Amino acid sequence: MKILIVDDDRINSTILNRLLARDGHAVMIAHDGVEGVEKFRRENSDLVLMDIRMPRMNGYEAARQIKQLAANRFVPIIFLTAVTDEESLALCIDAGGDDFLTKPFNRTILQAKIDAMERIRRLHGELRRQKETVERHQEQLQQEMEVGQHLFAKIVSAGNLLDAPCLKRWTSPMSVFNGDLLVAAYNPAGGLHIMLGDFTGHGLSAAVGAMPLAEIFYEMTAQGFSLSELVEAINAKLISVMPTRMFCAACLIEVDFRQQSLLVWNGGLPDVLVTDQTGRVVRRLVSNRLPLGVQALTREDRKMEIMEMKPEHRVFLFSDGLIEAPDPGGEMFGLDRLMTHFDGRTQTDQIFDTILSSLKNFRGDAGQTDDISLLEIDCSRAGEEPPGGMPRRSEKDLPPASWEISFSFHAETLKNVDPLPTVINAVMSIQAPTGHRERLYTILAELLSNALDHGLLGLDTNMKKTPTGFIEYYNLREERLAVLASGFIRLKLVHEPVLSDEDGRRIGGAIHIRLDDSGPGFDYHRVQSSLEGNCGHGGRGIALIRSLCSELVYLGDGNQAEVVYRWMYE
Amino acid sequence: MSGTISVERSDKETVINIKGRFNFEMHSQFRTAYQEDTSKGQKGRKFVIDLSGTEYIDSSALGMLLLLREEAGTNESDIEIINAKPEIRKILETANFQRLFKIS
Repeated sequence: MKILIVDDDRINSTILNRLLARDGHAVMIAHDGVEGVEKFRRENSDLVLMDIRMPRMNGYEAARQIKQLAANRFVPIIFLTAVTDEESLALCIDAGGDDFLTKPFNRTILQAKIDAMERIRRLHGELRRQKETVERHQEQLQQEMEVGQHLFAKIVSAGNLLDAPCLKRWTSPMSVFNGDLLVAAYNPAGGLHIMLGDFTGHGLSAAVGAMPLAEIFYEMTAQGFSLSELVEAINAKLISVMPTRMFCAACLIEVDFRQQSLLVWNGGLPDVLVTDQTGRVVRRLVSNRLPLGVQALTREDRKMEIMEMKPEHRVFLFSDGLIEAPDPGGEMFGLDRLMTHFDGRTQTDQIFDTILSSLKNFRGDAGQTDDISLLEIDCSRAGEEPPGGMPRRSEKDLPPASWEISFSFHAETLKNVDPLPTVINAVMSIQAPTGHRERLYTILAELLSNALDHGLLGLDTNMKKTPTGFIEYYNLREERLAVLASGFIRLKLVHEPVLSDEDGRRIGGAIHIRLDDSGPGFDYHRVQSSLEGNCGHGGRGIALIRSLCSELVYLGDGNQAEVVYRWMYE
Repeated sequence: MSGTISVERSDKETVINIKGRFNFEMHSQFRTAYQEDTSKGQKGRKFVIDLSGTEYIDSSALGMLLLLREEAGTNESDIEIINAKPEIRKILETANFQRLFKIS
């Protein structure tokens, strides 16, 4: 140790010097306070032995200045004193002294005191290093959090359509990262996919799972995959990337304005509530599946609940953080308190806001213990486009070219695979003219579902005219599809450029779509002549295709259809 | 503020009793409670999770049950959850855990 002796008594300092040097310390001597401070500044000593009464500057002042110079470093100061009265000792402590040594010096006591101080000094150094490490980690963590937050926001909110006019949402994360994931996106036909997911735990670890999930959600929705295929893909992904003890309680909903239907899949979230115009609950969609990321899904697990959508319906979904939010006394908000808002006395368009204000009053200044989310779907606005119009995928616009593709789907395939995304993605990757994609998607969707539902499965479109028939239709569809043993759907698309009359430039194109199925066909003369009768549930398909295409003809027994869709550069 | 765990072992069965709040703070306690059995790789042992004294359960606790299920070997052993209060049972059933565990 480097020890500094500050004493104007040369005999004392010589004795001390000799004692300390014998123990291997490096000793420096100053003869008054000013010199002491100066030597400390230069030598950075580890310990100071300080006399009190000295010329120029006394020991108290020198101690004060040395402590100040040492700043964060712990430099023990031991006062050398002949007096033992309490008052002078108190002054030593006030000046920053750590101990006393009374004259005449005893070698054993001196050694013991220096050893003790050395121990404290080491401990202090250790503590300081730990503190610096913690501070460095904190700083690093803060920076990583900021980067993470940026990535999270970019990935999770990429193309997020939570500003769709029919949606109202409120979410309150417990920490920087939200373990509740709320995403929405339109599929190519204009159907709205919505998902609320609640990951195990909160904060960063919960949010990490949200990123792959959000990416799959957006990508597959944009490609036209069905909700049940989304559920399957997300579940598989979460199983492969998340540790066993993490999962995601989730609810996925498809609002299909065209079919006037709601598809719901609920795995582990509280009941989804559907209200009518009185504000009472007319339907509860109970969680009947395991949460996502627990185990592989069976065919049954992939099934959706389907219900007919009416304009007066409002759909409410929320994470369990809402029900479990505590008040300052630790009592939970609870399902009963939530349900008082659905007793018919609250106007339906007020329910969302009154739930939030009631929750706010209840919580008071209680701390948050979980992420909380609440979402409302107002079905009367399901057909409205989001501000700024429908989102467009950024796909290459190739000059109109000649190409053709054909598909043949057999019963075996149709049982397990929805042909629509396959066809759409093939077409889109060759030629997907801006401003025509949604229409092409709709035409192909209608043609394929007519061929499958009516041609191969023999379902009667009139069934869908009543609410109970609507559900029955979909149940029957599922049953028949599961046992479909034979049959096929063939699809051929031929694209030709359209040339300008004036200079022969390619100004657009025409897609000829020919579809035939192995079914018995139908009396197309009747359907073609009465568009009026064709506008009930689901039967609207043919009218819709006709309105979008320049030509639609049925051939043979009605099991072959030919459609021409023309497009021009905008 | 979290709960406490006590364990009773017999030849074939391990009963894990959870009192108080079963949440993320119980993670290492809960793991220690069953790992003495699962680490031996012994098959066919039955685990009983007694929730009679459990006041609250969160999603991290559900995650711990999944972990026990995995480490005990999903098919070989059976895991039974007993004496859950109605509100806790509701949470287990919302997550459809009756498909993974015997709940009685």
